Amino acid sequence: MSPARRPSFAERVFHALVRLFPFDFRADHGRDLEQTLRAQHSEARRAGSMRALTRLWLDVARDVFTTAPREHLAVVKQDVGYALRSLRRAPVFAISAVLTLAIGIGAMTGMVAVLNTVMFRPLAVDRPDQLISISNQNGMNAYVSYKDLQDYRAETAVLSDAIGYVPRVATVSVNGSTERITFELVTDNYFSMLGVQPALGRLIRPNEGRAAREAPVVVLSYDYWLSRFGGDPSIVGRSVRLGGQPFTVIGVSSRSFRGTESLLRVSAYVPAWMIETFMSWASQQGTFEDRSLRTFSMLGRLRPGVSLEQARAALVVRASLLARDYPETHKDVRLRVIPETQARPNPQLGAVVRVAATVLAGLAALLVLITSANVANLLMARAVSRSREVALRAALGARRGRLARQFLTEGLTLALLGSVVAIPFVMLAMTALRNFVSNTTSAVAFDADFSLDVRVLTTMLAIAISAGVVAGLAPALAACRADLGARLKSGARETEHRTGGRMRSALVVVQVALSLTLLVSGGLFIRSLDRARHIDLGFEPEGMLVATTAPALQGYDFEKRLAFYRAGRERIAGIPGVEHAAWIQFPPLGIIGEAAAVTPEPRPSDPDWRAPMASEADISPEYFETARVRLVEGRFFDERDRAGSTPVVIINQTLAGRFWPGQSPIGRALIADGDRVEVVGVVQNGKYQNVAESPLGAIFRPVEQTSPVSASIAIRSSRSSVDLAREVRQVLALADPEVAVYDVRPMTEHLDNGNAFFPFRVAAFLTGLFGSMGALLASIGLYGMIAYHVSQRIREIGVRMALGARAGDIMRDVLARGGRFAVIGIALGIVLAAGVARLLEGLLVGVSPFDPLTYTAVAGLLVAICLIASLVPARRATTVDPLVALRAE
Amino acid sequence: MAPRTRAESFLPLTPPMLHTLVALADGDKHGYAILKEIARRTDESVRLSAGTLYALIRRAEADGLIIESDERPDISLDDERRRYYRLTPLGRKVAAAEIDRLEAIVEMAREKKLVPRPRSV
Repeated sequence: MSPARRPSFAERVFHALVRLFPFDFRADHGRDLEQTLRAQHSEARRAGSMRALTRLWLDVARDVFTTAPREHLAVVKQDVGYALRSLRRAPVFAISAVLTLAIGIGAMTGMVAVLNTVMFRPLAVDRPDQLISISNQNGMNAYVSYKDLQDYRAETAVLSDAIGYVPRVATVSVNGSTERITFELVTDNYFSMLGVQPALGRLIRPNEGRAAREAPVVVLSYDYWLSRFGGDPSIVGRSVRLGGQPFTVIGVSSRSFRGTESLLRVSAYVPAWMIETFMSWASQQGTFEDRSLRTFSMLGRLRPGVSLEQARAALVVRASLLARDYPETHKDVRLRVIPETQARPNPQLGAVVRVAATVLAGLAALLVLITSANVANLLMARAVSRSREVALRAALGARRGRLARQFLTEGLTLALLGSVVAIPFVMLAMTALRNFVSNTTSAVAFDADFSLDVRVLTTMLAIAISAGVVAGLAPALAACRADLGARLKSGARETEHRTGGRMRSALVVVQVALSLTLLVSGGLFIRSLDRARHIDLGFEPEGMLVATTAPALQGYDFEKRLAFYRAGRERIAGIPGVEHAAWIQFPPLGIIGEAAAVTPEPRPSDPDWRAPMASEADISPEYFETARVRLVEGRFFDERDRAGSTPVVIINQTLAGRFWPGQSPIGRALIADGDRVEVVGVVQNGKYQNVAESPLGAIFRPVEQTSPVSASIAIRSSRSSVDLAREVRQVLALADPEVAVYDVRPMTEHLDNGNAFFPFRVAAFLTGLFGSMGALLASIGLYGMIAYHVSQRIREIGVRMALGARAGDIMRDVLARGGRFAVIGIALGIVLAAGVARLLEGLLVGVSPFDPLTYTAVAGLLVAICLIASLVPARRATTVDPLVALRAE
Repeated sequence: MAPRTRAESFLPLTPPMLHTLVALADGDKHGYAILKEIARRTDESVRLSAGTLYALIRRAEADGLIIESDERPDISLDDERRRYYRLTPLGRKVAAAEIDRLEAIVEMAREKKLVPRPRSV
């Protein structure tokens, strides 16, 4: 064969096929294999039959695609076996490396599990990918009215169907024992659209509950049926009391179905048509007629083949038609149409939650990088002490590529072991997080299922593989470059190769930089939490206790609720040590609140004017004194403000300035949620929905005129909250033993668990945790590095000491080496941290992402940590006995 | 792992392995020659694929059953300087042990009249 001849097609294919075999196999037999294939090919061609040729090709394909993977597997098996054996010989190294990796992989997996729950895990329904959330993105109320829902549902060119649902809380009484559950009022097509089957009995039928006085029915969730009724199949047809009314159980939903809200535990489903028949809520009367009552969360199902954009376009057109037809109520409607997965926990918060979760996962990824760098460092340190073994293997015929592969295998083996170790801890952490989330309030049944499903575990595997590759890569590269012959010749002393040394230094620098980034993020969130705590809330939370009650859960009507509120307040005011006590419908800055569209009278003539949303709360007259909210003008509520007298309202300064700038609002009127109310007072501004909100209008109405379905008693007292809480429960039970009392806690605790500080606390805790772990690992890395450096230079240090160097000089040199890494790492880290901090900007309150104090403090902290990490080996260096050091040579 | 030295510890051999060892029994051969020899001697009823053969050679080499032969045939005959393989004494013992094992089975089957004895030996 002439060397210049261009290879034929078959030869090129054979060449490519042979490349599928592992490196060593190719090196030993690649050429022979190719030659054999070529020989077989020309033989078949000489035979001249198409059949022989076809048979050869089929045979070659089958052969290569079964043999090559098998050979790869054999190499992997051999490498893993070797890795495991060598790890077993160095248990301390193995355990520390595995634990280090477990920390990083575990933290990241935990964040992935959270991301999975809030962003990715599909609902357990038929074709969840077709579900879209349809909501109003303007104003504070994201929901849609029943009539609007039906209009959007009529867009059948893009939607095959649409459902509405309203989560509510009620007490359930079975055989005398009572508990509170979250249930949903659902449109009658709810289960059919979602494709949910009954596990028992039947589900809700079209128009069920629509006729007046139809017997109320309820569908139980599978979990609730199991936990509360022990999975008793005779439940169907039995009666349970829900919110004080008898309901007949018609069925149980399928086992896998967990509702349409990823963060709520919904225990029962009631036809929405029964919203009026079983709860005598005055405000619910017009649910099915009044377009201004935006009550329903809405999910639509895309028609097959219709894209989200097409559906959005059609629905937005429909919304603009509604705005044209109902300008009074629909001027502010701006439709938000997004995939269901982006509307968790609700359409308003979805975007923020996604950003926050992604940022936290990103920070966890930095932690993984730090742990991988740490283990890479450990592996390289080991590679140096194993250099003779490596060189020996090389001399015995192991190729460099093979050695590199061995290091990668060791990294991967460690990472996989690390993830196995991490799994139980992550599961524990996720259970703890789930409890933490459910305990933030008992007003609704929060239940975020952060369990590790296949998706999370697959991602974890990917994380572990990446971590293993990163950990094994640096030593593998060093092994490729190392001059192996030199190592063998160097005799007893194991020398660190220059490339390896530089790479190890770089790894330490990277660790310092990454941990600085994590610490800065943590510091910013901690500062942000501190700033949030110092924001003027417009009232004094210290010294306040709140307890929530819900008389409507017992089916109490307007009068009965008022009677309870009066009796309850009177008894609480009588507790010794209580200075003030007052009802407020929703304590400020909680997870739940209310808002109303408000219009001044007369309505502004500007045709483009839109009614703003204002925070709304019903209060009893003593509330402002209890919370220490200052009256700016007019009066507080008093005994004149009763049911039947003129409906009145107190507004805050923001709303007063907006509606009647420069004038007194006292005696003016406004329309709130359809009611005409007269302004009798103005109070100072406060924070109502979250601490970061820009000044928001607020209206307060007297409990005596509205009789809210639930309310919290706010108490000001100098007594210890534990004692007081017990007494509050007791006296409320005396006022009415039937009414559920829950979330009895200091106002400060309410704020910690509510919209006020909860997100900041979680962010500060997690980033602080990641940062401390990162810093700890980086300091271990630096320590290892410096200690090794010292041990390598024992002889040199001995010579210098023999020549008269003082201990201080030696120590300074060693510390300077550590300091150099610290300074480079910190400088790099500041640049990196500034970049990361820009991403955090939207999540911070009252603190700049480039806050100099945070950067300085963190840099100072890291310098201190690095110094301490270098100090121990530096001290050891000064104790070197020149004689001993020199004799050892 | 200590190398195995007892011939019995390799048994039973896979048919391709036995064929390969037998093919090398009468002299050094390169891979392609082994394939041809096996095909020829079995009237094409046993056809090893090239990848399978080299995987097998690799294993046999690692186990010390064959070694790469450093004696080359005449340069003129040496086909593209291929690698030649030679049966080691251990390989020879292993092949013999496998054949003994097979013979014992054949003998047993004959005693039970599963297969007839050959008429002429």
